[in-house]
Amino acid sequence: MSRVPPGGLPEEGKPVVLKKLRTRAMQERITAYCFLLPDLIGLFIFVFLPIIYAFYVSLHDWDALNPMKFIGLDNYVALSKDMDWWHSVGKTLQFSVIYVPLLFCLSLGSALLLNGLRGKVVSPARTMFLMPYAITSVISAIIGMYMLDPRNGIINEIIRFFGGSSQQFLGSPSQAIYSIIAVLLWINIGYNMIIFLSAIKEIPRDYFEAARIDGASRWQTFRKITFPLLKETNTFILVVTTIGSFQVFDQIMVMTKGGPASSTEVSVIYIFKQGFQLLNMGYSSALAFVLFLLIFCLSLVQMKLFSTKD
Amino acid sequence: MKKTSWKIVLPAMMALLLLLQVGCGSGSGNSNNQANQSGSSGAQSTNGGSKEKIKLQFWDMHTEAEQKYFEDLVKEYNAAQDRVQIEYSTYNQADYTATKLPIAFSGGNGPDIYMISPGDFMKFSNSGYLADLAPYFPEGVKEDFLPSALDAVTVDGQIQALPYEMELMGLYYNEDMLKAANVEVPKTWDELLDAARKLTTDKVAGLVLPPDKGAYFNFNFYPFLWQAGGQVLAEDGKTSAFNSPETAKALDFWGTFFQEKLSPAKLQYGPWEIDNLGKQTAAMQICGTWAVSRIEEVFGDVPIKLAPLPIPEGGKPVTTAGGWKFAVNAKSKNLEEAAKFVMWAFADQDTSRPLKWATETKFAYPARQSVIDAGQEIYNKGLRQVFTNEIYSSAIPEPVYNPAVVEAIGDAMTRVMFGDMTGEEAAKAADAKINEAMK
Amino acid sequence: MRTVRFNAQTMLAVIAVILGLLMIFPIYLLLISSMRSEANVLEVTWFPVEFVWQNFKEVVVSTNMMRSIGNSLFVSITVTIVAMIFHSMYGYALARLHFPGRNLIFSWTLSTLMVPFAVITIPLYLITKNFGMLNSYAGLIVPSIFNAYGIFLFRQFYRDFPKELEEAAYIEGLSIAGTFFRIALPLSRSIIIPLTIGFFVANWNSYLWPLIITQSESLWVVQQQLANLVGGGYYTPWNVVLAAAVIAAIPTLILFFAAQRYLVEGIKMTGIK
Repeated sequence: MSRVPPGGLPEEGKPVVLKKLRTRAMQERITAYCFLLPDLIGLFIFVFLPIIYAFYVSLHDWDALNPMKFIGLDNYVALSKDMDWWHSVGKTLQFSVIYVPLLFCLSLGSALLLNGLRGKVVSPARTMFLMPYAITSVISAIIGMYMLDPRNGIINEIIRFFGGSSQQFLGSPSQAIYSIIAVLLWINIGYNMIIFLSAIKEIPRDYFEAARIDGASRWQTFRKITFPLLKETNTFILVVTTIGSFQVFDQIMVMTKGGPASSTEVSVIYIFKQGFQLLNMGYSSALAFVLFLLIFCLSLVQMKLFSTKD
Repeated sequence: MKKTSWKIVLPAMMALLLLLQVGCGSGSGNSNNQANQSGSSGAQSTNGGSKEKIKLQFWDMHTEAEQKYFEDLVKEYNAAQDRVQIEYSTYNQADYTATKLPIAFSGGNGPDIYMISPGDFMKFSNSGYLADLAPYFPEGVKEDFLPSALDAVTVDGQIQALPYEMELMGLYYNEDMLKAANVEVPKTWDELLDAARKLTTDKVAGLVLPPDKGAYFNFNFYPFLWQAGGQVLAEDGKTSAFNSPETAKALDFWGTFFQEKLSPAKLQYGPWEIDNLGKQTAAMQICGTWAVSRIEEVFGDVPIKLAPLPIPEGGKPVTTAGGWKFAVNAKSKNLEEAAKFVMWAFADQDTSRPLKWATETKFAYPARQSVIDAGQEIYNKGLRQVFTNEIYSSAIPEPVYNPAVVEAIGDAMTRVMFGDMTGEEAAKAADAKINEAMK
Repeated sequence: MRTVRFNAQTMLAVIAVILGLLMIFPIYLLLISSMRSEANVLEVTWFPVEFVWQNFKEVVVSTNMMRSIGNSLFVSITVTIVAMIFHSMYGYALARLHFPGRNLIFSWTLSTLMVPFAVITIPLYLITKNFGMLNSYAGLIVPSIFNAYGIFLFRQFYRDFPKELEEAAYIEGLSIAGTFFRIALPLSRSIIIPLTIGFFVANWNSYLWPLIITQSESLWVVQQQLANLVGGGYYTPWNVVLAAAVIAAIPTLILFFAAQRYLVEGIKMTGIK
């Protein structure tokens, strides 16, 4: 990345221009720091400091109510042997591995579908895809519970209509996690679709024209043109949804609270439980810190794998 | 240009919002204004003005009529004397103990007076947030309390909370459904299981039991455990006695209802809500005394009847007596004043307040003999008489355990429910965890 | 040739509409079920068979839902506006300006994205308490503003921003800040609109944080009020819960319908590559 001011280098390097350039560079720095300042302070106080503090707490035995007792790395030793913790990490990974690719493909698919549409149907179709995003966390959980009920839910009504037998869904250890994934997909596809759609619209028309003249099929156009040009967006959506998938909390808390039989007890829920229900704040902070490192490494790998070098 | 339209829209929205705020603040009446007041005055409790009143925070989890009872109680107390001003706030029960209390205590913002459930009692006892109330009982009142009720909240000789109600569990059932399925009212475990099998259909659950982990989950299981002869802790109260054939039997019995899908693993109404029976989506439900008022008020035309909990062959009849307790923060600056309020409310010579609570506001048994005597007439009305005559004498107050013990028991129950373990294996696994937690 | 194209289009349109209907079906279900009486609310409903407006009246009269909606609107709008200003500046600086420590700051910012919120609640609570912001609008608003997600998106956007415009501004003698506020920001609609929606919805969603720092019910936000209805007492009035859910969804839905047009327009405007 070369250091070119936003104005671009003037063509001739005359001394006057150089001086102007230098002041311009100074001005640029000052402006940059001014622009950064508000968020920098805010992020430092309200995000960064708490993590540091959480790490500090993780070196202590603390029940949140009494003074902390320093115990070094004992919490980390304990968590390495805590089978319930590793179970929750497994659940988190299971959740991500199913949820992220599904969300990615379905959002991209919807975006391509809508992009291919012409005429009067475009606007209502887009509205319909987007609308679930307006349904927020607790509401989506309420709707999920209402529709997926084993006895009175409409989904089971449909299953019974086609001759199947009622499913337990949120009450079943094997189905609960998929039920939650379905609810989350439902509310989140629309927004990611819009991001994809904006990115697709940014691709210059002539590329597609050229492909059409060359007689490329729809699939070829997608593989050779659309998808590669979406690389930035792809990386972004993948990284952000992966991180998001590690942090899903509200819906699980309302719909299953980690149950049945710990089948939806992902790491965040387990950490919350250790912290607030059992009041093992020190231990819970250690778990939190490990989860943070885990997300961090995973995101780095993803970015390395998918991002473009410029 | 479109740019300008945003510039207009945003301030317009903000203005609208302010209007809305003002409108709501003045329009929505009493409770709102009161909440407002307590919010702002709580922040600056030290500079109260010329007439220095002590401000006490009282946190609660009750709703509706019960919330009203405590609101009125606080109003009455505030008017009756001029030393203290009590400020009352109430929260969603699910969040109250799990989030609000620990966070507030950890930040040094805890309330002076608060409600505590037996399931969370030890958590706060261990951390020294439960004051010893023994010195504050008025003359002769302590003896009026049922000894077992006080025992349940006594730790190291300190009475760490005031029991003011006992909620008993019984078996509620829909009489018509039982008749239609040709089922007798179950008296034994075998009969209960058999009845549940016959009553379960696609739309109707045979027996409603709590499916989700938590304090209420364990609370429902203790009678089964005790009836079978099992115990959580040994006599010394320091080691586990969970690993026994009796425990295994109780766990297996509990688990059977879920494995055979006689009890739903997911409920649309909470397992404590009698609406499961009232809306005719279940035939039998184990539920507490609190259900009686709702049955009378809302489900008068549903043939709901009540029986004591079924017992195993050769077992003894036992039920649990639950109920929230009144607690005073041991770290409160005004401990004595806070304790005085608690005593005034439920441990006064005058029994009208506890009587009103246990008979008018809700239906529960007071923890005091004189109050029970005073309300005798009410305790023999309708379904209440089943509790009074057939269930009350078998009640054991819900024990208080460390959170890790509660968790271990809950874990054992779910493991069996979903067929991961047999009762025997689960009892053994939980036994180790309980011993670990008691160290 | 024309007919083939027409048929492919029709097929696509039919598929899109079917999928779209599937997406909005749960919302439709919520709407019709919210109008059922308490006795029938759990019955499976396919068509609007009852219109019990009483449910909505009950939400307005017997709960503090309207007050909470007011609170949520106030908090969400304030957070969104401030966040848009701060994050766009930050994102622009990271994408277009040159200064020592740029990569370091960027990586650091990105790393804050990976902190699960449930994990930092206690420290955040203590910090907020130190600022004296407990049980106040400030406590609801200020900590919610700072979020690397928005920054990241702005940065991505400004990296692809056409250079020609800035060059023109430079030639016209605009300062860097001027270039940003006069040229770049007004042309950022295609990122600002989706992000505005995103931030608004995210704040409309927030539940755990308000729960922790508010005390008086006059400060409760929408999700608290809703969760309180579901898990608050001895029984769950499903008809009221569903009606409350409908009411709580209205502001976000309105925002969607209002912003829809701008979403497309914004996208068209920046297509100057």
